[in-house]
Amino acid sequence: MSPVDATVARLTAGSLLGRRRALLLLALPAVLLVLAGVARALSGQDAELSAFLLSSFALGTVVPLLGLLAGTGAIGPEIDDGSIVYLLSKPLSRSVMVVTKLLVAVAVVLVLGALPTLVAGLLLAGTSDGLAVGFAVGAAAAGTGYCALFLLLAVVTRNAVVVGLMYALIWESLVGQLVPGAQALSIRQWALVLTERIVGGRAEALGADSAVGSIGLVLLVAVVVGATWYAGRRLRTLRLTSDA
Amino acid sequence: MTPDVQAGAGPVESGAIHDIGYRHYDGERRGRAAVRRAMFVESARGAYGLGRAGRTKVMPALLLAAMCLPALVGAAIAALTGADELPIAYGGYVLNLQVLVSVYLAAQAPVSVSRDLRFGVMSLYFSRPMERIDYVLAKYAALATAVLVLMALPLTILLAGALLAKMPLGEQLPDYLRAMGAAVLLALVLAGIGLVIAAVTPRRGLGVAAIIAVLLVLSGVQGAAQVIATEQGTRDAAGWTGLLSPYTLVDGVAHRFLGQDSVLGAGPPGTAGALVFAAVTALLVAGCLGLLVLRYRRVSIS
Amino acid sequence: MSTLVLDAVSRWFGNVVAVNDVTMTIGPGVTGLLGPNGAGKSTLIHMMAGFLPPSSGTVTLDGDVLWRNEQVYRRIGLVPEREAMYDAMTGWQFVLANARLHRLTDPEAAARRAVDTVQMAQAESRDVGTYSKGMKQRIKMATALVHDPPVLLLDEPFNGMDPRQRLQLMDLLREMGQQGRTVLFSSHILEEVEQIATDVQVVVSGRHAASGDFRQIRQLMTERPHQYTVRSDDDRALAAAVMADGSVTGVELVATTAVGSRQGGRALHVEATDRASFVRLLPQVAQRHGIRLFEVTPADESLESVFSYLVAR
Repeated sequence: MSPVDATVARLTAGSLLGRRRALLLLALPAVLLVLAGVARALSGQDAELSAFLLSSFALGTVVPLLGLLAGTGAIGPEIDDGSIVYLLSKPLSRSVMVVTKLLVAVAVVLVLGALPTLVAGLLLAGTSDGLAVGFAVGAAAAGTGYCALFLLLAVVTRNAVVVGLMYALIWESLVGQLVPGAQALSIRQWALVLTERIVGGRAEALGADSAVGSIGLVLLVAVVVGATWYAGRRLRTLRLTSDA
Repeated sequence: MTPDVQAGAGPVESGAIHDIGYRHYDGERRGRAAVRRAMFVESARGAYGLGRAGRTKVMPALLLAAMCLPALVGAAIAALTGADELPIAYGGYVLNLQVLVSVYLAAQAPVSVSRDLRFGVMSLYFSRPMERIDYVLAKYAALATAVLVLMALPLTILLAGALLAKMPLGEQLPDYLRAMGAAVLLALVLAGIGLVIAAVTPRRGLGVAAIIAVLLVLSGVQGAAQVIATEQGTRDAAGWTGLLSPYTLVDGVAHRFLGQDSVLGAGPPGTAGALVFAAVTALLVAGCLGLLVLRYRRVSIS
Repeated sequence: MSTLVLDAVSRWFGNVVAVNDVTMTIGPGVTGLLGPNGAGKSTLIHMMAGFLPPSSGTVTLDGDVLWRNEQVYRRIGLVPEREAMYDAMTGWQFVLANARLHRLTDPEAAARRAVDTVQMAQAESRDVGTYSKGMKQRIKMATALVHDPPVLLLDEPFNGMDPRQRLQLMDLLREMGQQGRTVLFSSHILEEVEQIATDVQVVVSGRHAASGDFRQIRQLMTERPHQYTVRSDDDRALAAAVMADGSVTGVELVATTAVGSRQGGRALHVEATDRASFVRLLPQVAQRHGIRLFEVTPADESLESVFSYLVAR
């Protein structure tokens, strides 16, 4: 019994990459690459600037937004307009549905988030300090975490996007800055653990370090697995409502 | 069955319309101004969930509380310690909490216009005396007012705290009014951006994501550009980057025209900079209005 | 043999009881679930489709519980009420995707059969988003038939259909019923149910008000007097004669309008409590008085009168 269903994947990709959403999804890495290009043209290869851009813009803005768009978009519109009934009325395990949708969303974030981060990093810092690879891996990890979390949110509530925003922006950036303890529960900080490992010695100096230790990785994996499992459970008991 | 027909008269051949008390409305019909005002009031109240279901009040209430929290704390500290100066300035308050304002806009702009489009009620609106421009103006004014309240309330709380701490009104008022002026401008600009994006993304959730994506990306790009320009050592260029994000744009205008201290270091450079910033702000507001009118012109009645 | 059994099923949402102690058995053939809006028909169909658990009681298909049982969908085909589908695909692709989701061994053949059955082969390469309402309904039928299920559930399938599409769908459902499938459809429109349902389940305010053939239901409603329209060559004499009998509670001489091929003129309305004895009484009385009977019609044995009676109770 395969954990993934090809038809579900095709249907999800089709609805996820619908016109306006796709436009938004493509615009984000485009801006990142343009910014990196301009910075490189003006400042040359600057490690500190690169780390700043990659950390604050790529990892701090583009990746959470992509995770939000892809994670909620993988199942939210189908639940909202009721076309999820065509998936639910099949002898298909709900967990397989969730895992497949998650993989599609993660693939989108990897291609449109982690890969451009790598390219931007190479543009800005070349291969020095492993910044490009470090942040790309961090982006991939954070993207996976965001997708899993927001996919669960989309199954649980119809206002998933707003709630997800509150988490990603208000909790992770605003509260995280004011209350250091909050950073222990931040997907971004967990992903930075990987970045810190890859960048190595200069991580702290460049601002590529994480506020948490290795436990962050454990937490990230736990959140991804737990959110996916719970989303499968909730999908089993999803209420199909009538219009609106 | 028709009770007025004579019983036993054979087959009924003609129809009749009966007076069951239906009355034509002959009273006063208010004009378009009243329609606009009604739409404005309803939309402005709806932006805080007033007049709608309970759960629509949660998000705005949370955001409003979060916006006011630092002001309450600052006002309390000032009042209790009897200080001479407020621990938090009026000037940079909104800019520091811009994330909250952005989230509010992203959440409420779609509530204002996307739902009407999604459920196809626009034809109902436009088959009334309401013209498209009325709808646009009312919605714009309503959202701008709602966003303004979000910013004005904490500023006013700060002022109240200052007054309670016996600080002279004359000292507080200029800074307060400058900050309020900036808030008005910011509300106008943000409402325009939010409504334009929401009006083209009727699907649930997409408008929210699009608005926040635009605002965050602009902020991020502006921040990065500013850092790059500062590193390059050109202070002027750093000032010009303020054009990239609505928050810094209005901050620049407020700095040069209202005399408010700029939070973002370099303000718009020189007279040319000030004029360009002001022009861009005005164009942005006018442009958004124009785009909205265009968009709604394409909404058909049938 | 596929039988849906609801046993003392109730469903409440907080304080609102949507379905109240309903027990019914849906067997092969076409069954119409009839009730006014808000009667609980959709809730019942959702429970039968396994999307909603009963708050009490059991809903089973051949003994298998439907709730949280994905494998049961091999045996059920559902035509949902909501219109939304995957708009960006063509009709063919959509039906094929559904066939694949069922893990059928030959999805293309199954999809081909299903699309041909609903007569959508001509429009199958157009995007679903461009379909009219009737076409969308037919594609929904195709997705429900693609895995050849013994049970078909349709939630308000005739909503918004024009007369021709309605006839086509009725023919299709009738055929499905004759093939031995269990077909259940819900409706609040009496004519639809009357024309194709061999079995009617009436639901009013969440309660199971009546079941069976609607003519039999009518006969069971003994408290309400039966009405007959009688035309004879001497209505007044006939009226006096039948009024003398105990089974008749009222007579009325009326003028009737011309309807179809029947001419206008006078007729006699008779109200009788005891149908059986009136039916025996009438020809005897007519013969005794030398009155010729031209027409005797039960005036209220339509589903509508049955329904209004049940709703008003």
